[in-house]
Amino acid sequence: MIELKDVSKSYDAKTKALESLNLHLREGEIVVLKGVSGSGKSTILSLIAGLSKPTSGEIIVDGKKISKLPDHFAAAYRRDNIGIVFQKYNLIPTLSVYENVLLPLFPLNLAKEEMDKKAHSVLKKFSIEHKSDMLVKNLSGGEQQRVAIARANINHPKIILADEPTANLDEKLSLEFIDILRELKEKQRTIIVATHDPLFFDLDFIDRVITVAHGKVI
Amino acid sequence: MFLSPEIITLSILNALFLIFGTIAFFNALKIVRFYDKDATTQAQYILEKKSYLSATIIKFIFYVKIPLFIFFIYTLDDLSNILPGAMCAAGVVNATVYGTPLLFLKIINLYIFAFWIELHKEDMENETQPYVKEKFWLYIFAYLFLVAEIVIESVMFGSMDVNSVVDCCGKIFATTSQSYLALLLGAPKTLLLTLFYGLYGIMIVAFVLKNRYLYALSNLFFIALSLITLIAFFGTYIYEQPSHHCPFCLLQSDYHYVGYVLYIMLFLGTFMGILPALLPSKKEKQLFYFKSSLLFNSLYTLLVSLYPLAYYFKNGVWL
Repeated sequence: MIELKDVSKSYDAKTKALESLNLHLREGEIVVLKGVSGSGKSTILSLIAGLSKPTSGEIIVDGKKISKLPDHFAAAYRRDNIGIVFQKYNLIPTLSVYENVLLPLFPLNLAKEEMDKKAHSVLKKFSIEHKSDMLVKNLSGGEQQRVAIARANINHPKIILADEPTANLDEKLSLEFIDILRELKEKQRTIIVATHDPLFFDLDFIDRVITVAHGKVI
Repeated sequence: MFLSPEIITLSILNALFLIFGTIAFFNALKIVRFYDKDATTQAQYILEKKSYLSATIIKFIFYVKIPLFIFFIYTLDDLSNILPGAMCAAGVVNATVYGTPLLFLKIINLYIFAFWIELHKEDMENETQPYVKEKFWLYIFAYLFLVAEIVIESVMFGSMDVNSVVDCCGKIFATTSQSYLALLLGAPKTLLLTLFYGLYGIMIVAFVLKNRYLYALSNLFFIALSLITLIAFFGTYIYEQPSHHCPFCLLQSDYHYVGYVLYIMLFLGTFMGILPALLPSKKEKQLFYFKSSLLFNSLYTLLVSLYPLAYYFKNGVWL
């Protein structure tokens, strides 16, 4: 389903984030990318999401050459297929929980009632519906992350990318996040988690743990 | 040489077009030579970025250049107040040997630039960007025309002399002179009108048949015949003077700037009429071009036809 062929990525002449990386992920697979900071994990996620382009090589998702897509097509692909949970959640602090979750639906020009239905359904699913009118800046870290996960799932994306999702959470909240991952895995979503949190390495529902170091898979 | 605010504006813009256009030109040379849409090498990804950047530069140059033509015509008209003898833009165009070729070149460029924009739009609407090489080949060609236009325009403005008396449009478009233009103006009006309305009829037939090649061909001829009939026949009814054949005076306030409306409609109608033959777009888009073209050409035909009819109903005679 996701294929990275001989992918290299340099941010400048001196910094090689990835070097001739090859990776193949099957549909419905949940994979943990393990590695220290700067190893290239986030770069892999960013390339799969079409947020950046490789310096060389090719990324194919569902037969589509993502790395060759013009920017506006990459944005449409991301909107339709990818849900991203960022390390710092990337929520808009001055908007409410409900409004933040609704954001990915705006380009779809859906009817207000349908948007409302989808938003409430996803908020309920991730147990944050009771806070839907609160501004996200007034929420705790764990609650903010639930909002981020709800937002990433509102379009029912086939692929979910999580970049250091538990970096700002305590152990209890991290375990809650892992439970959510387990639920998503049951729904046959393809999930890639980039993390150096040891909590993820021995989970029974994780299909593979891939170690990334110096821009290479080892 | 003299500098009016309009000439300074045009010169500054020309300098900017030349600088950015040249950057895009060198990138275009690399793109047509090395671009390989299937390659996944570093060089190809760099070319893809350059292609996006250069296309954006070109798009904005042409987006400005097309409406700037109206400003250029306005400038010529305005300069007629400075050049002794000139009554409208015709005198300014005729003031130097560069004026007429420049005007023709600018009209040709309008069509080339507008076509590039449409080709680029078509390319960007497709995720495989199938026309990258074609649009940069076209740009290389268009760049040469752009440079020629800028050079001739600068030379024309540079060689204008405010102390020399120039001809007015009455003399330039006189039917009594020995020029080819006079010969054309002296052609039988019935013949010219039969050709004009006959061509419009062919255009409608081509529209009904959705024959894009016949439609484009009829539009090409429609540009020429519209201008000839406007100068030789319809213009005289706009001015309500049988010997006034100037295609520029109708741009003035005395005639409610009707020239701008007519020329813009003629350009939009004929450009969109030629487009379906050159651009293999989707059926719905082709239909949109066909319909828009026929709409603008019909409005043009209707508007120019209204002047003689209104004159006849008002005065009971033809000019």
